[in-house]
Amino acid sequence: MVKITIDGRQVEVKEGMTILQAAESIGIEIPHLCFHPAFPPEGSCRLCLVEIEGRPKLELACSTIVQEGMTISTQSETVRQARRSVLEFLLAEHPLDCPICDKAGNCQLQDYYQEYGLFDSQFKENKERKSKKVALGKNLILDRERCILCTRCVRFLKEITRTGELGVFQRGLRSEIDYFPGQPVDNNYSGNLAELCPVGAITDKDFRFQTRSWFLQSGPSICPHCSRACSIYIDYHVGFPRVELDKYVYRIRARENPEINDYWICDFGRYNYAYLEKKRATKVLVRENGQAQEGDWDSQIERLVKKIKEFYLKKKTNRIGLVLHSALTNEELYLAKKIFQEDLPEVNIFLIDPPEGEGDNWLLTPSRTPNLKGLELIGLQPQKFPPEKPLTELEILIIFAYLPHGEDQYNQLRSLLEKSHFSVLFTAHQTALMNQVDVVFPTTLLAEKEGSVVNVEEKLQKFPAALTPPGTARSEREILLTLGRGLGINFSFYRQLKTPAAVFDQLSQDISYFRGSK
Amino acid sequence: MMDLSPETRKKITQLTAKYPQKQAALLPVLHLIQNEMGYIPQEAEIWVAELLGLQPVRVKEVITFYTMFLEKPIGRYHLQVCTNLSCTLAGAEHILNYLIKKLGIKPGETTADGRFTLTTVECLGACEQAPCMMINFDYYGNLTPEKIDEILDGLE
Amino acid sequence: MADKEKYLTKLFGLKNLHKIEVYLQNGGYEAAKKAIKTKKPQDILNEVKAANLRGRGGAGFPAGVKWGFVPQGVEKPKYLCVNADEGEPGTFKDKYIMSHNPHLLLEGIIITSYCVGIHQAFIYIRGEYEMIARRLEKAIEEATAKGFLGKNIFGSNFDLEVIVHRGAGAYICGEETALLESLEGKRGHPRLKPPFPASIGLFGCPTVINNVETIANIPFIMARGAEWFTQIGLPKDGGTRIFGVSGAVKKPGIYELPLGTSLRELIYNYAGGLPEGKKLKAVIPGGMSAPVLKADEIDIPLDFESLMKAGSMLGSGAVIVIDHETSMLDVLRVVSKFYAHESCGQCTPCRVGVAWINKIVQRIAAGGGQPGDLETITRLASAIKGKTLCPLGDAAAMPILAIVEKFKDELLDQIGSLKDN
Ligand SMILES: Cc1cc2nc3c(=O)[nH]c(=O)nc-3n(C[C@H](O)[C@H](O)[C@H](O)COP(=O)(O)O)c2cc1C
Ligand code: SF4
Ligand code: SF4
Ligand code: FES
Ligand code: FES
Repeated sequence: MVKITIDGRQVEVKEGMTILQAAESIGIEIPHLCFHPAFPPEGSCRLCLVEIEGRPKLELACSTIVQEGMTISTQSETVRQARRSVLEFLLAEHPLDCPICDKAGNCQLQDYYQEYGLFDSQFKENKERKSKKVALGKNLILDRERCILCTRCVRFLKEITRTGELGVFQRGLRSEIDYFPGQPVDNNYSGNLAELCPVGAITDKDFRFQTRSWFLQSGPSICPHCSRACSIYIDYHVGFPRVELDKYVYRIRARENPEINDYWICDFGRYNYAYLEKKRATKVLVRENGQAQEGDWDSQIERLVKKIKEFYLKKKTNRIGLVLHSALTNEELYLAKKIFQEDLPEVNIFLIDPPEGEGDNWLLTPSRTPNLKGLELIGLQPQKFPPEKPLTELEILIIFAYLPHGEDQYNQLRSLLEKSHFSVLFTAHQTALMNQVDVVFPTTLLAEKEGSVVNVEEKLQKFPAALTPPGTARSEREILLTLGRGLGINFSFYRQLKTPAAVFDQLSQDISYFRGSK
Repeated sequence: MMDLSPETRKKITQLTAKYPQKQAALLPVLHLIQNEMGYIPQEAEIWVAELLGLQPVRVKEVITFYTMFLEKPIGRYHLQVCTNLSCTLAGAEHILNYLIKKLGIKPGETTADGRFTLTTVECLGACEQAPCMMINFDYYGNLTPEKIDEILDGLE
Repeated sequence: MADKEKYLTKLFGLKNLHKIEVYLQNGGYEAAKKAIKTKKPQDILNEVKAANLRGRGGAGFPAGVKWGFVPQGVEKPKYLCVNADEGEPGTFKDKYIMSHNPHLLLEGIIITSYCVGIHQAFIYIRGEYEMIARRLEKAIEEATAKGFLGKNIFGSNFDLEVIVHRGAGAYICGEETALLESLEGKRGHPRLKPPFPASIGLFGCPTVINNVETIANIPFIMARGAEWFTQIGLPKDGGTRIFGVSGAVKKPGIYELPLGTSLRELIYNYAGGLPEGKKLKAVIPGGMSAPVLKADEIDIPLDFESLMKAGSMLGSGAVIVIDHETSMLDVLRVVSKFYAHESCGQCTPCRVGVAWINKIVQRIAAGGGQPGDLETITRLASAIKGKTLCPLGDAAAMPILAIVEKFKDELLDQIGSLKDN
C-alpha cells in the first residue's frame, strides 16, 4: 500500500495503481477518453492530465503509477484549464451534429463538455471534411468527422480479437480510421466497437436512428445463446403515454464481468434479440376435437396435475415423459429434479437442446444453451435421446421447449409425440409444435426471470428479471412449484419455496457447488 | 504475382534475414519496390504483407504515414522543391513559381507527357545550398531560374 | 586558433577520406583498436562520463549517463540506434560527417557498442539521404573486410554488425521513440515514456540512441581522454559543435567551433556576416524548434545553459539567420506549416492545436487576418506547450510563441496591410 493525497484527501491505495485508478477507488472522477481498462494506457487524448506536486509539468493520470507521498490535484486551476483546452481541441474539428447523433446522451465527449468544458467555440477556420458514412463491415458505420482518434477501435481489434482489421491511415490532422480495401471488419465481435467508441464515430447499423438513448432503460441479464452465458444489458423502451411503439427491446450490450466476458459480447448474442418479442406465446391454448381454443391457466394445470396423480397412484409413472432443455435456470432445473426425479419415480426424462453450432474459440461455445453445467451439477439424469431401445407408449408427455432458432423442435420430438396419449407444451414462442399437443402454456424467457445459471467454466451468475413477460406467460419456476404443490407428495417442501432466492437457498443446502456463493 | 526483378527479390531476401524481427524490414523492402516500380501498387502491399507476416492494413498504415512512399505512379522525374525556412529566406517561392510556370503544372501535379511531377517538401537537410530541390534522389542547390533551365535540359 | 581546436571536421578537406585506406593512413580505427584491445567497457564508460559529452541531437543529455542506464547482465540483446534522421529544419551537419568521414561514425559505433555490450547497431538515416546511405554501406563493407566489423573484431571475441536503415519522409522519426517504432516497421508514433529506451527500446530490448555527431565524438574522447575534451569548450559542456549556418549569411555552411563561442562571432566572423545591404533582424539559434532571438540578443555564448537562460535552446546547432527584408509573418507561416505537416497525429493538442494555429496563420497570410488572431495563436500555443505526448508539441509551440511575442507589432502591421490590399 502507498499513502497519497488526492485533492486534499489522504488515502492508502494499492501499490502499482495508476492515479486514475486510485482516484476512481475513492470516487473521484478524472475525465479520460483514450484510456479503457481493457488495454494498456495509450496516453494520446491528453484529457486525463493532473497536477503532481513537485513536477514541472502536468502528468497523465491514466499512465502514471502512484508513489508514496504523492500529492495530486485533479481540480486545480491549471488542471481545469488544460482539460478545457483538450476539450476545445477535440471539439474544434468535431461536427456539431449531436441532435442527429446516435451516441448523444451516451457520449463521453458530450458529457465531459457539459462537466468540464462549457466554453464558446473560438474555432473560425474551415473544418476538415471527411467521409461521414463509411461501412466498416456488415454491422458498423463510421463517421470520420466525429472520430477523435482515440484508437480504441484499432486496439480492440489488434489486441483483443487479434483480427486487426482497422488501422490509422495518413497522419497529422488528416489521420483517419480505415481498413485495407476489401478487408472490412469481419469477426464475431464487431458490435463491441460501437460500444467501445467513446463518441458517435462508430455506430451500429442495427441501432442507427432507431431511438434516442435517453428513452431507454437498461436491465441486467445474461445472454441465453451459448454456454458462456455472458453478462448483458437489455436496453428497452419504457414507452410513451398513448403511443404504440413497434419495438420494445432496442439493443443488447455487454455488461462488464471480469469473471466471464470482461467488457465484450459476441455478435451472435448481440444481434439475436428479436426472439424477445417476435411470435411470443401469450395465451393458454387447449385442443379439443382438432380445434384450438383459449384456455385458462389454473384449470389446465389442475387437469395436468390430476393426470399425473392418476398414474402416480397406479404406480405407472414410468409412462410419463418429460422433455427439458438447459436454457432453464438452476432454480427451475432443481425443482424439475425434485418433482420428476425424486417425488415421481421412473419418469422418462429427456434432455433436448438445440443442435450445437460453431464455436469461435473465445466466448461463443458450440453448445447453444446457457446452463448445461447447472443441469449437470444439480444432478438431473436424463435418458439418452433418441433412446436406444424402442420407446414404450407414453400416457403423458410434458414438454419444455427451448428457444426456436430456425430448426423446429417438432422434428426432434415427432417420435415421442406419436407415442403419447396426452401432451402438454410449455413454450415461450409460437411454433409448429403447438399444433401437435393437447395444451399449450405460454412461458417466460431468461430475460424475464430472476434466477441463476452456471456457465461452461462453472461460473455461477445470478440475475434479476430485466423485462416484463408478455400476456399471461408464467415462468417455469412458478409452473413447477404449482405442480409440486398440486401433486401433494411433498407439499410442505414446495410451499416454503416462494421466491427464486428461497429455491436457491434450498438448492445450495442440497448441493455443495452452490454453497457459499452469494 | 508480383513483377519484381530477380535482383530486387534477392535483395529483399537478404534484407529480411538481417533484422531480428521480420516486420522491421518493412521500410527497406518498400523502398526497394518503389525503386523498381516507381510507386507501391496495392498488389505489392499485399505481397509485402505476406512476405513479412503482416496484415495488409499494417502495410497501408505505414505507407500512408511516410511522405516518400507513393501509392500512385508519378512522372519520371520527381521535382521536390524545399519550401522550408532557409530556402524560403533564399527565395524558394520564386524557384517554385518559376517551375510552375515553366512546367505548366501546380505542386502535386504531373506534366501531360509524364516526365515531371512537382511537389513541395519540407527541409531537405541542404540549407547551406538554399534554395534547393531534389530530383529523384539527386540534390540540386543554389538554384536560380538559369540553373533550373540547365538542369532540366540536361535530363533525358 | 579555432582551427587548432577542430577535430571532427579537421580531415574533411582530404580527398577520398571516405575510403578506408585514407582514413587508416590518418590514424583511423586506432581508437577503436585501443578500446577493444586494452580497455574494459567500464573504463570507457567512466571516460565518457568524465568527458560529460552532451548529446548533439537536440536535448543535450550526457551520453555517458544515458549509456549507464542500460541494464547490464540481462539476457536480452541490446541495440544501438544512431540517429541520422536530421530532419530539424536548418540542420545539415550530420550529412557532412557521414558523407566526408563515414568511417569516423563507424569507429564511434564500434567503441560505443563495445562499451555497452551491443552486437547490432542501426544507423537510422533520413530517406532523402539515399546517396549517403549507400556511402555508409560501402564503408561498412570495407570495415568488415578489414575485420573491424563482423565477427571477432580486431581479433577479439567481440562481434558487431551495423545496418543502415533508411526512413521515408517523417520529421517525427527523429524523435527517439518514434525512431524505434519506425525501425520496427511501423508508423512513427512516439511512445509513452516511461519506460525509457535504455530499458525497453528496440524490439522491447535495452537500446542506446545517440545522434551522429555525438557518436563521432567518441573516438576522440577514447584517443585523447576526457581531460582533453573538457578543456575544449566549457568545463561542463566540452568539445566542439558543428554549427550549421544558413539563411541570410555570405558563407552558409558548417563551422566546427568550441562550445561557448559567441553567436555574433559565428555569424559575423565565420559565416561572413549578412550579404551586402542586408541587416540582421533575428536568429534561430538551434534548429527551427528553438525560439527566435532578436538582433540585439546575439551576444550570447553558444552552449546549452546560456541559450536556455535566454529562453531558447542550442538544439541541433543549426543557426538560421533572418534579415530585415524578411517578413516575420512569412517565418511564422513556414514554421506553423512545417509542424502541422509533421505532427504524427497521435495526440490531441498537437494534432488539432498545431493544425488550428496553422489554419489561422495561413488565413492571415492570405489577407484574412482578424483582430484577436495573435491572441488566439498565443492562447492555443500555450495550451499545447507541455501537454503533448512527445516533445514535438513543445517544438512547435515554443518558436511560435516567441515569434508572436517578439514580433507582435510587425505582425499586426502586416495583418493590417494585407487586409487593406
Ligand atoms: C520532433 C523531434 C525530432 C528530432 N529529430 C532529431 C534528429 O533528426 N536527429 C537527432 O539526432 N535527434 C533528434 N531529436 C532528438 C532525439 O529525440 C534524441 O534526443 C537524440 O537523438 C538523442 O541523441 P543525443 O543524446 O546524442 O543527442 C528529435 C527530437 C524531437 C522531439
Ligand atoms: S472511431 Fe471511435 S473508437 Fe475508433 S478512433 Fe475514432 S473515436 Fe476512437
Ligand atoms: S506531440 Fe505531435 S508528434 Fe508528438 S505524439 Fe503528439 S501528435 Fe505526435
Ligand atoms: S486517458 Fe490519459 S491520455 Fe487519454
Ligand atoms: S530549408 Fe530547404 S533544405 Fe533546409
